[in-house]
Amino acid sequence: MGGGEKPELIVNGKRLDGRAMDELRSIKIEVGTIRNAVGSAYIEWGNNKIVAGVYGPKEALPKHVSNPEKAIIKCRYAMSPFSSLEEHGRSGPNRRSIEISKVTKEVFENVVLLENFPGSEIDIYVDVLQADGGTRAAGITAAAVALAASGIPMSDVPFSVSIGKVGEELILDLNKIEDNYSDADMPMAISPRTGELLLLQMDGNLTKDEISKGVSMAQKAGEVITKLQKDALKASYEKIMEKYTK
Amino acid sequence: MQRIVIPGEKLVDSQIRIENTISDKNGTYACVIGYYDDERKSLIPLEGLWQPRQGDNIIGVVEEDKGNMYLVNLNAPYKGLILAKFIETELNAGDFITATVKNLEKGGTVILLRPQRLAGGKLISVSPSRIPRIIGKGNSMLNQITTGTGTKIVIGLNGIIWLNGGKMDLATSTILRIEEEAHTTGLTDRIQKMLSGNEMK
Repeated sequence: MGGGEKPELIVNGKRLDGRAMDELRSIKIEVGTIRNAVGSAYIEWGNNKIVAGVYGPKEALPKHVSNPEKAIIKCRYAMSPFSSLEEHGRSGPNRRSIEISKVTKEVFENVVLLENFPGSEIDIYVDVLQADGGTRAAGITAAAVALAASGIPMSDVPFSVSIGKVGEELILDLNKIEDNYSDADMPMAISPRTGELLLLQMDGNLTKDEISKGVSMAQKAGEVITKLQKDALKASYEKIMEKYTK
Repeated sequence: MQRIVIPGEKLVDSQIRIENTISDKNGTYACVIGYYDDERKSLIPLEGLWQPRQGDNIIGVVEEDKGNMYLVNLNAPYKGLILAKFIETELNAGDFITATVKNLEKGGTVILLRPQRLAGGKLISVSPSRIPRIIGKGNSMLNQITTGTGTKIVIGLNGIIWLNGGKMDLATSTILRIEEEAHTTGLTDRIQKMLSGNEMK
């Protein structure tokens, strides 16, 4: 992606926005933003602003897509027309958003206990309000919180983050400009309990060593993200509890 | 000690069987957001859906009369089904009924037995995970609301509650308050105050 002159992405050992190589952007997660949804979450990940909502389980329609053995997951990722400088969402789903919807769906098919709801469907909506690179990672992180808040049984709350390469350096959590001009970009979703990789995509080239180093970098960042997800989920209940324990 | 746990959180190091958990050789993990009690080894979900089990009493609305069977809306991913040959009274679309679950069939249909019509009144829906708290230990909370308001209350485990007569509005707001504060301590006292009408504002 991108064209023209390639900008210098690392200046004096720091990245363009002043972060260290393995530093995350600031993340804020809120639970219960959409009242009508069964579970919902809002995430601010650097300049990304994303809302995720979960509906269901409900009867799977049309009938031929339902599975009598287990539930099916439907996912829709969409960028708002006003979310970034490039044009988005002029005419419904495009190639990119269909791809991200598919990979998001596959992440959650591996953690939700689908056998509990035969013949039903679970809908996940991820809407990007403002985009600044790494929206698929932020979207998966938010959708995981929304799913957990809905009470749908799942084996873990996954998180997602991307790593990339600039020159010889590996960097964590790429923003828009790094995403466009870096030599490689690898978003991944990980289940923190087992360490399983639920999503692994790559643009560009990485060596075998760089990939394993990148995965461990992401796992280390995951400790921070997982804690934020956990705190956000517990916060809403603890607020009501605190009111009455005093 | 009670604490709030989220999916994937480790509860115990050994592999034991608790509801709403999964386990592997390293330990047992929560799979819903819930309230975990270390001593009693129980995980009570804070959110969640109704999972039909044999013998559950439910409340539903008759949706369609198909001649030999009735379809019932249960406000769940499952559809209720009553076979007409097992019942004597006729039901009409729109009737509120209470019934018992016989079994869950493949494909998400719940077979219901012994339907009884609930005449008049209104239905409210709450999160099914809060139903045990609304009933209380040995019906204590439910009795409290019934005596406090004089309302007739029937509770369905699928999260639908039928109310009729008495101070219906007070009963409704009480139930909705229990739903919101289900996980807090000292709730019984606050509900008692609310029902007797001298709660500090």
